[in-house]
Amino acid sequence: MTQSGLPPLIKTNNLVKKFGSFTALNGVNLEIHPGEVHALLGDNGAGKSTLIKILSGVFPATSGEIEIEGKPVNFTSPRDASDAGIGTVYQDLALNALTSVTRNFFLGREITSFNSPFGLMKMKEMDRIASEEMAKIGINIADPEQAVGTMSGGQRQTLAIARAIYFGAKVLILDEPTSALGQKQQMEVLKTIKRVQKLGDIAIILITHNEIHARLIADRFTFLSLGEVIGSGTAEDLAGDDIKTLMAGGAEIGDLTKELESI
Amino acid sequence: MSDSTEVRQEADRHAPKRHIWTMFARPEIGPIGVMILLFGMLGYFSIPAAESTWNPFAGEGFNALGIRNNLRVISQLGIIALGAGLLIIAGEFDLSIGSMIGFAGACMAMILRWGFAILIPYISFEGGIHIEYFTVLSVDHVTPIWAIFITMCFTLTFGWIQGFIVVRSGLPSFIVTLGGLFFLRGLTEVSLRAFNHRPDQSAGSTTVTEIPDLKNIIDLPEYGELSRLDAKSLPEADLVSMAQTLPSDTIATLTERLAYTYNRVAEAKTAIMEAKGVKPLEKALENAVQSGNEYMVNAIQDKIENFSITPVVPKNVSDVDVARAYIDTLPTVNKVADFFGGNILEALFDWLYFPIDWNTNNFGNQFAPGLYSCVMIWVILSIFCYIVLSRTQAGNWIYSTGGNLSAAQANGVPTNKVKISLFVFSAFCATIFAACQVFEVNTSDAAKGNLKELEAIAAAVIGGLVMTGGFGTVLGIIVGAFIFGLAREAFFYIPGIDGSFYRVFLGLVIIASALLNENIRKRIMGNI
Ligand SMILES: Nc1ncnc2c1ncn2[C@@H]1O[C@H](COP(=O)(O)OP(=O)(O)OP(=O)(O)O)[C@@H](O)[C@H]1O
Ligand SMILES: [Mg+2]
Repeated sequence: MTQSGLPPLIKTNNLVKKFGSFTALNGVNLEIHPGEVHALLGDNGAGKSTLIKILSGVFPATSGEIEIEGKPVNFTSPRDASDAGIGTVYQDLALNALTSVTRNFFLGREITSFNSPFGLMKMKEMDRIASEEMAKIGINIADPEQAVGTMSGGQRQTLAIARAIYFGAKVLILDEPTSALGQKQQMEVLKTIKRVQKLGDIAIILITHNEIHARLIADRFTFLSLGEVIGSGTAEDLAGDDIKTLMAGGAEIGDLTKELESI
Repeated sequence: MSDSTEVRQEADRHAPKRHIWTMFARPEIGPIGVMILLFGMLGYFSIPAAESTWNPFAGEGFNALGIRNNLRVISQLGIIALGAGLLIIAGEFDLSIGSMIGFAGACMAMILRWGFAILIPYISFEGGIHIEYFTVLSVDHVTPIWAIFITMCFTLTFGWIQGFIVVRSGLPSFIVTLGGLFFLRGLTEVSLRAFNHRPDQSAGSTTVTEIPDLKNIIDLPEYGELSRLDAKSLPEADLVSMAQTLPSDTIATLTERLAYTYNRVAEAKTAIMEAKGVKPLEKALENAVQSGNEYMVNAIQDKIENFSITPVVPKNVSDVDVARAYIDTLPTVNKVADFFGGNILEALFDWLYFPIDWNTNNFGNQFAPGLYSCVMIWVILSIFCYIVLSRTQAGNWIYSTGGNLSAAQANGVPTNKVKISLFVFSAFCATIFAACQVFEVNTSDAAKGNLKELEAIAAAVIGGLVMTGGFGTVLGIIVGAFIFGLAREAFFYIPGIDGSFYRVFLGLVIIASALLNENIRKRIMGNI
């Protein structure tokens, strides 16, 4: 399947996740390649969030394995995953709206003297880095002391993305980054994703319900339905109608139209 | 990308910062205003009605003793408000602070009074089944530092347990520490009664008294360690010989100082006697004027003009006086007891008395010996908390734990550790409060610290904290303590109103602050 010469950054083999008797994922195989935007698509409850939570160490898989750059890994916490280079930007962005941009950018990884929690934070340096990193992917913040709560949704998304990249993400996982935003800000986020891609070999996993967004920026697609992969391929492999069909979990749009008419 | 987006950016929408404005946009600005208002009220109303002066330092509120007493109330509240406040910023509550104060005070007092022992109970079968105790360790005389250390071991452990239960069970800290409130208060009463057991088996009282005044024990050459009071009441002959062995310049300074006091006292006495003598004459004059008796009026006026009193002769400075004054200058042996319960800035207050003549009471004596050392401890703790909260990584963790718990966790902040540490810190502050009280008054009572937890929380709220956490500053907590501590005094002096109006006032301030704080928080969250 691999068309580019590079080995996959992440490869999953037969990932299974059960919540009690409920099978959320039923043997998922996935390959993520450096420098590509990989769209993960599927209906509500298909298992997209479950899959990325396993990849980012929130909970372990019931069976199956994950390989990063060819080496099998075993995540026991989100920390493990982020140390292995998987940066996840959740739907809620994991930001503290009450504190400043800089304090959020460095949350949990503040630069301090003596490297101790009680060492003084190097605020100037942190302010500078936060501004620079956000400027790199397209947002100039006037004031790094601005409270995150007063920023727009797109700016917050950028902050969360810039943070993940700065702290060494080789794979950036974005869970529905555009779902809560207005048209213009959705475009801002897509631009941001493109700029991230341009930075180098970072792979991006993009979860979205928006077919247009996926088609605009994704290089490769994977479709999930009821916990199984029902189709995958590069942008060239898939024709427009395939994507629509697969996103609806295999149902033909034509069938849907008929169903709607019969009501 | 079109050119227009390059030209106008999101950043341009923020008006440039103006420093005056950012100062007024600070959340503490409201409380600071209230604090200044209270300062003004206290200064203005505490000036005696008879005096026509605008100098606020003339009144009882801001004379030396007023400052000393007000700052004591404020700083004691301030100490526990720091513990309570930091915990609130991290999104949790501690209702056990007041009981913790009572427990810590009793624990410290009991150790200082009766010593410390570790006993292990076991069941003995010799001569019928009964419980025996195996003594692991028994110390009769525990030094202040060890008494505090042992007490800390208990209180900090208890704080840790409360924190642990909260983070592990996910129960609201309100409930867990409410349990702590009753548990600790009960435990304090039970143990005090048990230790105060009288020989006749009647229940003991819940107070500990007769702890030696440790901060005033000195090491007197040739006499060894004894309290200042005992040293001053040595036989006069001993005191005289002691005075004679002192270096001449010490004697000179002490004599000069004593002579000043005696002169000042004599002056004050003369003035008082004069006032006393003239007063009946003035009254008589008033009556005479009313009755229209011209002769009497003239006679009394004459008497008032010629009224004089033989000035009181100042006492002579004797060797005994010098020796007693010298005993007062000797340093304490128990630095720790003095650190918590003694005075600070004694040299400054001395200087304000002689030569400045401000720190002088109506009888000519020195008014206040200095400030209570709890003020210094409050200042130290405040600086520490300010640095930790605003400048360190730990501070960012505290804010994020309270502001958005799941975000903090997702970013690897050890939120459970943060919370447990702050429960421990809250217990630490309560113990420090107790230490200040025990070493100052040398007694303890099971009822100590009652309702203090609510006062601490109120001070924190007044100072700009939000109950849901993540919001507030140390400066705010300090201002809150000032407001809470000042309100009572300020209202006490307002003529013609019931002093309890301060509670009405505080109630309104609490609600107003809570509304204001919530409004500021929402504005920052972007909900307004
Ligand atoms: N912790 C859990 N316990 C039990 N069932 C769960 C749990 N988490 C997810 N599920 C179930 O697993 C299935 C997949 O959920 P998941 O959140 O991965 O879907 P999704 O593809 O992200 O959907 P959406 O597009 O709505 O976000 C759902 O049926 C969900 O109810
Ligand atoms: Mg989801």
